[in-house]
Amino acid sequence: MSDLWEVLVRHFPDFRSGFLVTLKLVAISLGIALVVGTIVGALRAAPTRWARWLGGLYVEFFRNVPLLVLLTIAYAGLRRAGVDIPPLVAATASLGLYTAAYVAETIRSGVFSVSKGQIEASLSMGMTSRQTLRHVVIPQAVRTVIPPLGSLVIAMIKNSAIIGAALALADDLLKEARLINARTFQTNEVFFWAAVGYLLITVTATFAIRYLERRLAIRR
Amino acid sequence: MRQRGRWLAAVLTTVALLGVACGDDNGGGGGTPQPTGQFPAGSTMAELQAAGEVVIGVKFDVPPFGFTNPQTDEVEGFDVDLGKAIADELGVEARFVEAISDNRIPFLQDGTVDIILSTMTITTDRDAEIDFSEPYYVAEGRVLVPEDSDITGVGDLGGRTVCTALGSTYEENLKENAPDAELRLVDTYSECFELVQNGAVDAVSTDDVILTGMIIQDDTLKLVGEGYTTEPYGAGIAEGDTEFQEFVSEVIADVKSDGRWEQLYDEWIGQYTGEPAEVPTMTLEEALELRPCVDTC
Repeated sequence: MSDLWEVLVRHFPDFRSGFLVTLKLVAISLGIALVVGTIVGALRAAPTRWARWLGGLYVEFFRNVPLLVLLTIAYAGLRRAGVDIPPLVAATASLGLYTAAYVAETIRSGVFSVSKGQIEASLSMGMTSRQTLRHVVIPQAVRTVIPPLGSLVIAMIKNSAIIGAALALADDLLKEARLINARTFQTNEVFFWAAVGYLLITVTATFAIRYLERRLAIRR
Repeated sequence: MRQRGRWLAAVLTTVALLGVACGDDNGGGGGTPQPTGQFPAGSTMAELQAAGEVVIGVKFDVPPFGFTNPQTDEVEGFDVDLGKAIADELGVEARFVEAISDNRIPFLQDGTVDIILSTMTITTDRDAEIDFSEPYYVAEGRVLVPEDSDITGVGDLGGRTVCTALGSTYEENLKENAPDAELRLVDTYSECFELVQNGAVDAVSTDDVILTGMIIQDDTLKLVGEGYTTEPYGAGIAEGDTEFQEFVSEVIADVKSDGRWEQLYDEWIGQYTGEPAEVPTMTLEEALELRPCVDTC
């Protein structure tokens, strides 16, 4: 037991640095995922055919390429093509755009879940399409979408560990754990604390999402 | 019924005869070379003989020590040939498994491999987890950069990015010799190769022989500066297995003294560096003194 604690105390600066890097990666990637995901989701739900097609292209590409492959293309591939892309940009862009594809699909299904009756009713009351969208569709869609988006956020936090595994992109929590392990060979203790670190982030995210759900969500 | 009975007896007799012919532990039935001696019962050598193979962890992407030949798809190199020499002394086949710097010691500890021959430097920290044979090669740490770089040695690495492998001795080496350098650690040296080629890192630092392997594949890279660390390679053996450690050390001593070492050197390394073969004379004790314990004290 004392071994467990001793590993944390002795290597705390490295664990902490990795934890903070993971937080930074997650925050930036989440921002990209939500913004891009909403835009693509809107494209997918749009009335015009080319918009839906464009959105569909994005979603199919980013959902079907494994994250590790995406990271390698974004970093090594682009650099070979002459683009001087910094590792942080390659990492967060990859994770963000990848997650955005799933966000887009969630938002699309959220929009479509608002029953047609609602839209017909508000149009027949004299509201314009835009007003309908703003006051009827979007508020309800947002509430439906919160729980599945929450799952995506948790998945993204865990996927961030892949960044630390590829091509020295970032020294995140997992990378720091592997470094400490390579030096001390105390595998069980080191990865226990890495798991604790990731749990701290995912559990906090879960509570934040539940709070949002309580305040906004439609319970069925 | 009687016919069947006779037929069965004939088959069983044949099988029994074959079993006697091929079951001899000294490999009497097959075509493999005879081992040079009997090993004490219960020793690792005897177990490996009975198993018929020794599993050796080597690098698969580090020419000229352990790398996959793209034409034959077989792994080959200095470490590989040394492994085959050990297997010959045991009278068994050698089976090679990829062991990168990060997982080679766990592989030895959990039995996935029987020996490590993976360009592994002898250090006291590692000696706490496994046992080492006598050194079989002494490499030097150097720095590799693209040909148009202005870096002239390890002292110039301040403020630059340097790549090396996770779990290698270079994390410490670089912290000592280039404390202001930004380290980028990866799983395998082939990743470092990729990163220095596409400009993501300014330099790679590791053993001179590994860097030479990279230059062989891409001659727009160059070595700069003097050797700044000494890296004696040792074979890795499970902790506490003194008998096996002595056996492997003996094989290495034989290879060093009967001219095979020079042959291996010339074949794998000499033809690229142009330097003459010099059999290493460092002992295990001297190697351990070079690297006292840091993290496992």
